[in-house]
Amino acid sequence: MLVLTRRAGESVMIGDDVVITVLEARGDVIRLGIQAPKDVRVHREEVYRELQAANREAASPTDEVVEELTRTLRPPEEQ
Amino acid sequence: MSSTQAVSRPLEEQMITTIPTIHLAAPMPGFPAHRRFALVRLNEEGLLYAFTSLDNPELRFLVVPPDPFFENYTPEIPDESLALLGYPDAEDLITMLVITAGRDATAANLMAPIVINTVNRMACQVVLAGTDMPVRAILSKKE
Repeated sequence: MLVLTRRAGESVMIGDDVVITVLEARGDVIRLGIQAPKDVRVHREEVYRELQAANREAASPTDEVVEELTRTLRPPEEQ
Repeated sequence: MSSTQAVSRPLEEQMITTIPTIHLAAPMPGFPAHRRFALVRLNEEGLLYAFTSLDNPELRFLVVPPDPFFENYTPEIPDESLALLGYPDAEDLITMLVITAGRDATAANLMAPIVINTVNRMACQVVLAGTDMPVRAILSKKE
């Protein structure tokens, strides 16, 4: 991991297109501003990791599972 | 828009053979290599679809429309996502929820719906962070 020290108002550039600015640093809480191209997604890490895990869990169910759900999935009031 | 032949699978014999390609403006977290997908209806009622990668058809997700499972689900799409989708009108958008079949129940991801612009066929998985939407909302329980 590259470690840099910044003060409020200073920035870090990642590649040519991503700029992270320390807007405010107060004790434990740091406010960051992020500029990035619109197709670069920016998320809190824990949110991203949770979504990554959920997608991986959901990915490519077996044919048996798909067949069962195709047969049995019903709107709530019919369950 | 490009069209493509669907990969035939035994379960999906009723599929039409030419399916327009959906382009992910940003890839789904966990699957950076997959940008082109097809949406395949799996059951007659239109309750279950496969969101299948055209870059590698071994990858597919099961998705459902929110209605009738989550009737009050009206996510607000953030501006960054609307920009990725080409600034669609609300009526141009359809929403699909990724579902996971667990041992005891099937769950839908309400926190990160797949939003598709039906006009330009761009899509993205919108992350509704900062809301209290669950990543796993029970859709149905197994008997």
